[in-house]
Amino acid sequence: MDEKRIIETFLQARNEATFGELFAVVYPRVQRYFRLRGMDSMMAEDLAQNVLLLVFQRSGELRAANLFLGWVFAIARNEFLRFWRQSRARIETVEFEAVESDHHFRIEPTFLQDARFYEWLRYLDPAERDLVVLRFVEELSYEELACAFALPLGTVKWRIFNVKKKLAGIISADAAHNQRFRIN
Amino acid sequence: MMHGFTDQEWESYLEGQLTTEEQDRIEAHMLGCWSCWDRYDQMNLTTDQLHEAGAAVRHSLQPSERQLQFAFRHVMQQLRAPAEQIQQRLDRLETVMAKMCGTRTAAQALQHAAKGSPAQSLELVTSDNWEPFLANLTSLAIVMCGETGAHLVRRNGQF
Repeated sequence: MDEKRIIETFLQARNEATFGELFAVVYPRVQRYFRLRGMDSMMAEDLAQNVLLLVFQRSGELRAANLFLGWVFAIARNEFLRFWRQSRARIETVEFEAVESDHHFRIEPTFLQDARFYEWLRYLDPAERDLVVLRFVEELSYEELACAFALPLGTVKWRIFNVKKKLAGIISADAAHNQRFRIN
Repeated sequence: MMHGFTDQEWESYLEGQLTTEEQDRIEAHMLGCWSCWDRYDQMNLTTDQLHEAGAAVRHSLQPSERQLQFAFRHVMQQLRAPAEQIQQRLDRLETVMAKMCGTRTAAQALQHAAKGSPAQSLELVTSDNWEPFLANLTSLAIVMCGETGAHLVRRNGQF
């Protein structure tokens, strides 16, 4: 069954079987989101489980299946903020830097087979990182992003375009370097 | 805005989300505008690379089947515990009301109260939507069992 169908089936009938199917699709995405926000795997698992719990409990509020993932990531972003406030850690400033004293928020580039993406994220501010992760890793549509960030559609497109502008010079230079490397 | 095209239009063009006419308009312009062509080239490369690197991250960060099953079991355990508490509370309310207005009417009152609350059905009543459900039930109990009966329902329904 494809992802869209799984979401629709769950929204039509919330039970353990349909939730199980949905869980297999959504949990890896949410857990990955938290890891890319700089959390270690255990913390990411805990928060992802909280999000899925809320998804089950609150799914009665949502009717539009096409915005489901946007709605899920809106919950995930709130959960992240709630956790951040509770822990009182300055996660946004340390998440992509090696801070030995706070191992929970140390990103581990070794988990990424392709380190390019991680390098590019370093050039962006936290809100832009969120946008890039959800657009290019989770492949959310503009409509889903608008739902996740509670922004108008045009603003989402404008922000993504501006992130691309910000990264264009770096990515072009990387691509040129890789091409030279291959030729040599 | 660049040469009559907004950033949103450029973004939609890069992601192939424009209509054929809008696409033709941009392409006709680019044929005669070297700076736009150059910029499109760079932005197109950026878009492709972001999608490619994003896909690589997606594949490298996948939980194992065992981790997935463990997480699912854990979430289900958390979901079941309050559900059992809610069911016990609903049973208690039904028993209290049944004594005043009969078993069948009590069951119907519970269903009706749930239907008019955010839960929308008795099966979906949780601790999150309990309060509006109980408020509905208390209102029904005032009509069916009088003020004293409603007070009893309210007291038995409170956490």
